Amino acid sequence: MKDIYIQGSRDVYIVPTVKFLAKQGSCEISGESFLEETIKFYQPLFEWLREFTAEIRKPITFNVKLTYFNTSTSKCILTLLGILKKFEDDGGEVTVNWFYDEDDEDMKDDIEDYVVDSGMKINLIPLD
Amino acid sequence: METPTKFNLFEYYKLFSQQDIQISYKGPIDERILSVIGNYIEVILGKNPKASKKIFSIFIELAQNVSFYSAEFNELTDGKEIGVGTLVVGEFGNYYTFVTGNVVRNEDIIPVIEKCEIINSLDRDQLREYKRNQRRLPPGVKGGGNIGLIQVALTSCNPLDFEVTPINENYSFFSIAAKVDKE
Repeated sequence: MKDIYIQGSRDVYIVPTVKFLAKQGSCEISGESFLEETIKFYQPLFEWLREFTAEIRKPITFNVKLTYFNTSTSKCILTLLGILKKFEDDGGEVTVNWFYDEDDEDMKDDIEDYVVDSGMKINLIPLD
Repeated sequence: METPTKFNLFEYYKLFSQQDIQISYKGPIDERILSVIGNYIEVILGKNPKASKKIFSIFIELAQNVSFYSAEFNELTDGKEIGVGTLVVGEFGNYYTFVTGNVVRNEDIIPVIEKCEIINSLDRDQLREYKRNQRRLPPGVKGGGNIGLIQVALTSCNPLDFEVTPINENYSFFSIAAKVDKE
């Protein structure tokens, strides 16, 4: 299974940095996310996670380090968490870590809402 | 040289100078404008990073709504039809405000007003629940999340200040402002 590596950029739109590593069972999304075609960008990430959780089935760690995302992105994050939840329900081992700025109350609310919405345990880790 | 139609820019300037308007723009709103003004918000309000981040997030959602839903278009030389609207970032005593205004078809305005009224009737926890319920729905026609306005109200921590001014039997001018308190 191929890894996904996307270097984030900030031009007209804001592209997050994505590192999905199959061998390590490690996924990370960082930076900011405001894209022209949000679903088109996230679709390959959904497919990667579906393949990993259906075929590789190793323990997986999902790290989110986004400092800003728009509402279209917010739906895609929920979809990613939904795929992980399904894997966990099927006996997979999943760790979700969300790194956030402790001063960012809005982000804290967002993470809490994802816990309610996805049913996943999310570890809140303050950024240095 | 005399211009054929007298356009008194000074009146416009005076109106905007009565209040502390940091940025104002009227014209087609596409990703290039979003990018320039978005970056500029951080430059201008950067001394207050929390408020700056909130205004940026509100700006992205509201300005995108104008670009998607305005009933007034400009056709650019590249053939793209871009929604036209007005964007204003203002600074007042103890708060910042971001305002958008655009022309809408009268038949399209009722659902928007209803949504704003629902949002303003909810407290923060109810608003978060409303957002979670709406977020589960399939994406809107423009690929949006159905939750832009709800997110704006949550980020702003203030009620949405919206106004509809009828233009004629087909169109109205819709404006919406979101306040962000300074710390």
